[in-house]
Amino acid sequence: MRSSMLLAAGLAAALSTPAVAQDAYVVGITAALTGPPASTYAPAIDALRIYIDRVNKAGGVNGKKINLVIQDDSAEPSKAAANAKKLLTQDNAVLMINASLSSTYAPVVAEARNAGVPLLFASSVCPKDVYPPAKEGQFCTTAFAATYDSRAALAFIKETAKEPVKIGFSAMAIPLSRGEIDFAESQAGPLGMTAVDKEIIPPPTADYTPFATKIKDAGANWVFSWAPWVTQVRTFEALRRLGWAGDYVTWAHLEAEGELKRIKDNKLFVVGANALFEDDLPVQREIAAAVKEAGGKYPAEQMTEGWIAGMVIEAAIKGAGKDANAAKIQASMQNLKVDLKGLRGGPIEWTKDNHFRTRQFYRVYRWDGSKIALVKDWFAFDVK
Amino acid sequence: MQLAVNIVVLSAIYALIACGYVLIYRVSRVLNLAHGELMMLGAYLLLTTASLFGGNPWMAIGAALLLSLVVGGLVYVLLMRKMTGEMVLAAVLATVALGILLRGVMVLIWSAQQQYPGQALGFSNPALVLPGGARISLMAALLVGVTAVTYLGLFVFLRFGRWGVRMRAAGQNPLLAAQRGINLHAIYALAWGLSTFTGSIAGMLMALDSGLTNSMVIVGLKAFPAALVGGLDSLVGALIGAAIIGASEVLSIQYIDPLLSDVIPFLVLIVMLVLRPWGLFGTREELDRV
Repeated sequence: MRSSMLLAAGLAAALSTPAVAQDAYVVGITAALTGPPASTYAPAIDALRIYIDRVNKAGGVNGKKINLVIQDDSAEPSKAAANAKKLLTQDNAVLMINASLSSTYAPVVAEARNAGVPLLFASSVCPKDVYPPAKEGQFCTTAFAATYDSRAALAFIKETAKEPVKIGFSAMAIPLSRGEIDFAESQAGPLGMTAVDKEIIPPPTADYTPFATKIKDAGANWVFSWAPWVTQVRTFEALRRLGWAGDYVTWAHLEAEGELKRIKDNKLFVVGANALFEDDLPVQREIAAAVKEAGGKYPAEQMTEGWIAGMVIEAAIKGAGKDANAAKIQASMQNLKVDLKGLRGGPIEWTKDNHFRTRQFYRVYRWDGSKIALVKDWFAFDVK
Repeated sequence: MQLAVNIVVLSAIYALIACGYVLIYRVSRVLNLAHGELMMLGAYLLLTTASLFGGNPWMAIGAALLLSLVVGGLVYVLLMRKMTGEMVLAAVLATVALGILLRGVMVLIWSAQQQYPGQALGFSNPALVLPGGARISLMAALLVGVTAVTYLGLFVFLRFGRWGVRMRAAGQNPLLAAQRGINLHAIYALAWGLSTFTGSIAGMLMALDSGLTNSMVIVGLKAFPAALVGGLDSLVGALIGAAIIGASEVLSIQYIDPLLSDVIPFLVLIVMLVLRPWGLFGTREELDRV
């Protein structure tokens, strides 16, 4: 407890550190570090902080350090707007990061555009504006991608199912999750599946059993859920408690690896764009060591998203040269290719028209009885 | 049958939370809007005691319950006592501020990620098959039982217990109670302690059933309509209110639209406020005092 308190005090002090280093590149971050969805964003920002600290210890980029100025927006648009204004006008950030709910995007995008500063969405869902034809100034490194994720999951189900698929859907009652599940439902029919039920579950739900009861009673033998992890996993566990024995496919959020080990169910499949740490790649060992050394608050396996953002930020600033300013960094980001060392199936590659990636790779994992096992290796969709 | 079980479980959750709102309001006329946060704090305290007493889960649970009782008392002693003599609104706003503070502190201490106290305690949560084929998780069944025991215990305590009678007296007429030698501050501290204690039980059991995230605080808020519908100064009302809210929520999921489940408690609340603002079992006089 004492160490937790010290850690908390240290984090509070770190978050309140003003951007005073004039010889540093200031990167401003508005993130949902508290509030209900914080479990998705806080680990990513912790990873980004650890990554940038390592870069700084190694001498920085172009001989200058990177100064991360982190502001908590609690996933509230008004706070995000105030954060963005402060980061851009007082701290003079040369790059803005948004790691929060999509409801915070509009004010942050507006502030960044007005200031002429590029905006990177890292761990928060990629907005439409980063897909081709991309709007100027907005970029995204986040793994999950609307419509592509459903296509990947449904393709996997079609390939794996041995009997006619009666599929149920589960989403959280937030626009993004609902939109994706609506899209998935529309794709089920053309793929020869029968959509039997769709549950849109409010975020603050005390008991998921009533929703699970409907899915089970509808006769689903497969369920696909694309929502924040809490909705995905609680719906699944409620289904199992009801005696449902079907297959469940869901998005591999940051929590997925630890949760597969906890749940130990070989019919729970996670589809994701990041390699799980079960792969034991050299870069994953490097992340684990860095997290251990830095005393990170979150398990190493939840660090991938933030680590990738760190790699991209480092590359973007490096590409902009020693006198990097907002305009030069934006130009650098429009022509960027970052090798992710196996953390994903392919590189982050941005062009003038594509600020997402040119190919979106997926993998499927599950628990095989004794460990996490790869069910389907990298397969990709071209992003056009 | 499964539908009935679902209604009973959700109603029990709301009832166990709602009695905390009622206890404090009944005794001190304060709406504790930090109740959800205090409930969540109880669950996080269990997480901590589980790691401290990993080999002895019952000691961990006992320590967490004791801590939650103490925390509730301390909230009164260190914060709410200063509100004595101030407008009720000031006290309510103090609970709002307390809630915001607790939310931030909990994220800093325990992080934002999903946690599983049951795993730390070595508990499993199997499904029990009931007559008629309905299923209920062990922890949900426990929650229903604990809710019944809690309400029974509170009834006996308030009806026959010396301190319970004093609490009722302080609630009905604090001036007269004080003149009769009742220590009002001790009574109020006890009410806060008991309220946090019962809320914490709800938080712990929910966390043991399905895990713990900081969104639990919103569940605490959703139980508030149950207390209001039943009548803020009536424990029986809280029980009935919870049953109404729980049933309307589950039935709307089953027969109308799952999305309605989020708003139905507040629709019921609005209807109640229009027809009978003091709630089903509340008293008109109590409302006037607010």
